[in-house]
Amino acid sequence: MPTPWRSILTLHLGILAALGLLQFVLPPFHLAMITRVLLFTTYAVGYNLLLGYGGLMSLGHAMFFAAGLYGAGLPVYYLGAGPGLAFLSGLMASLLLAALVGALSLRTTGVAFSIVTMMFGQVCYLVTISLNRITLGDQGLVLAGRLAPVRVGNWILPLNAPSVRYNLALLLLATVLLVTLWLVRSPFGRVLVALREHEERTRLLGYDPFPYRWLAMLVSGGISGAAGAAYALLFSYVGSAFAAVLYSILPLLWVLLGGAGTTLGPLIGVAFMTYAVEFASRVTSAYLVVVGLTLVLVAIGLPRGIAGGLRGRWWWLP
Amino acid sequence: MVVVAVSSPLGWNLPPLLETVGLRRVFDGLTAVGDVDVRLYRGEIRALIGPNGAGKTTLASLITGRILPTSGRIFFNGREITRLQAHERVKLGIVSTFQIPTVFRDLTVFENVVLAAQRVRLRSPQDFFRLREGDLLNLVQEVLDRVGLQGSWHRTAGSLPYGHQRLLEIAMAMALRPRLLILDEPTQGLAPEEITGLMGLIRGIAQETAVLLIEHNLRVVLELSHRVTVMDRGRIIFEGTPSEAELDPTVQQVYLGVGGGWN
Repeated sequence: MPTPWRSILTLHLGILAALGLLQFVLPPFHLAMITRVLLFTTYAVGYNLLLGYGGLMSLGHAMFFAAGLYGAGLPVYYLGAGPGLAFLSGLMASLLLAALVGALSLRTTGVAFSIVTMMFGQVCYLVTISLNRITLGDQGLVLAGRLAPVRVGNWILPLNAPSVRYNLALLLLATVLLVTLWLVRSPFGRVLVALREHEERTRLLGYDPFPYRWLAMLVSGGISGAAGAAYALLFSYVGSAFAAVLYSILPLLWVLLGGAGTTLGPLIGVAFMTYAVEFASRVTSAYLVVVGLTLVLVAIGLPRGIAGGLRGRWWWLP
Repeated sequence: MVVVAVSSPLGWNLPPLLETVGLRRVFDGLTAVGDVDVRLYRGEIRALIGPNGAGKTTLASLITGRILPTSGRIFFNGREITRLQAHERVKLGIVSTFQIPTVFRDLTVFENVVLAAQRVRLRSPQDFFRLREGDLLNLVQEVLDRVGLQGSWHRTAGSLPYGHQRLLEIAMAMALRPRLLILDEPTQGLAPEEITGLMGLIRGIAQETAVLLIEHNLRVVLELSHRVTVMDRGRIIFEGTPSEAELDPTVQQVYLGVGGGWN
C-alpha cells in the first residue's frame, strides 16, 4: 500500500535521463548554463535536506560550499593535487566544518539557529578574506593549467571540455539526488520530518532530536561542500565571493521557489531562477528587480513552491 | 452497570511496575504535586481522578518525563528513572497520549503510525538505513485494524475528525508496544457511542500493558478500572476499588463540595 517506489524512481531516473540527453541538443552557451544549474542544484539539494526536511533554516550555508571550494582548490593550486584527491579533500573539509558547526548551532532551533549559522557563515567569509596571502581574497585563485585531466581507465577527460564538465556535474547531481531521495524515505528521514512537524510529539515517541538534526546537518553540509568542490574543479576558480552572504541566501531562494521539502524542488528552483536572471539581464541592468518581483509573485501564488504546488495534485511526490 | 471483576489475576503479587516515592513538583511556589506515593502494577487499569487542578496531568507529565520533579523519586520496572529524559523513558515502555490529541497533522495516518512502529524496531544505528517499510507493515496494519482506522491510512491526520485523531494517537501509542500506557482524558470530546467503542479498545490494550487512565467520565472509570486513585490539590486523598471510591465520604466531599460533581 504505502510508498509507490516505482513511480518515484521512474520519475527521478526519467528526469536524470532527460538531462543526459539534453546535452546533445543544447547549443554551447546553454550547455555551460545548464552545467552551472546542475552544480547549483546539487548545492540546493544539500540545503533542502536541512530546510525542507529538517525544518532548520541555515543562513550560513555558503560556508559549506566555500569549504568544499577551498578544500578542493587550495591543494590543487599549492600542492598540485589531482582532481580526485582534491574533490575528496573538499568533501572532507565541508564535513568537518558541518560536524563542528552542527554540534554548536543545533543547541538552538528556529530563528536562533538561523542567526547562529549566519554568524558562523560570516566568520568563515572573513577568514577567506583575511587569509589574503593564501586565498587572494576577492580576487581568488585560477586553477586553469594546474589541473590534471581525470583518467578513467584509458579515457582521459580534460576538465575544461564543456561536455566533460556537463557530464561530471550531472553525475554528481544524480548521485546526490538519489542518495537524498533514499535518505528522506528512510526511517531516519521520517524522524527528521517528524521533528520538523512537531518536536515535542516526536520526543514522546522516543526520539532524541539532536542526533537526527546533527546527521542532517552533516549530510547537508557535505553535499553543499561536494557542490563547491566540483565547482572549483570544473570552473577552475576559487574566490571568497562564494563564501559571502549572497551564496547563503541563494540556496534559500532556490529551495523556497522550487518547493522546500520536495526532492525535485531544488532543480526547478535553480533552473527557473538562473534563466530568469539571464533573460532579465538581457533586457535591463536592473535585472535583480525583475527576479525579486518574480519571487514575490511565486511566493504569493505558490506558497509551497512550484514542486510543492504540484504535490497538492500528486500526493506521492517525494 | 457492569463492574469488572477485580479478582482477575493481576500482577499484584509482583513488585510494582511503577513506583513514585515522595514525588513533588512546585511551580512558582504553587505545589502542583505534593509528596505523591503511588504504585502501579502489571496488568492493572488504574483510574486517576480528581477535580480540575488536582495535579493529575502534572503527575502524568512527571512519569513520562515531560517535566522533572522538584523532589522525590520514580522507579520503573525496578530501575530509577527520576532524571531520565522523556525519549529514554519511551524506550523503556512508558508511553502516553495527550489531553488534546497530538498527531502529525500534515502527515498521513500511515506515516504517523510508521513513526511509532519503527521506534521499537530501531535497535542499532544501522537499522535506520536498513529497515524497510515492508518490515513495519504488519505492525502498522495490526494497530490500525484494532482502533478501526484501517480505511483511513492515506488521509492526512489533520483531516480526520476529532474522535479519529484520538484513535490515531492510541494506535501510535500501541505501536510503541508500551508496558505502561498513560491515557489523559481519552473520552473527552467523544460521542457516547464512540466512548463505548473506546472502552472496549482500552480493555483489549490492558491485556498487554498496564494502563493509567486519567478520566472525568464516571461511567468509564467504574466500568474499566481495577483501582481508583483520587487526587485533590496535589495529594492523593483516596485509593481503592471503584465501588469503594463511590461510597467514600472524602471523595464525595471533594467532588460534590468543589462543585464539579461526578459527570
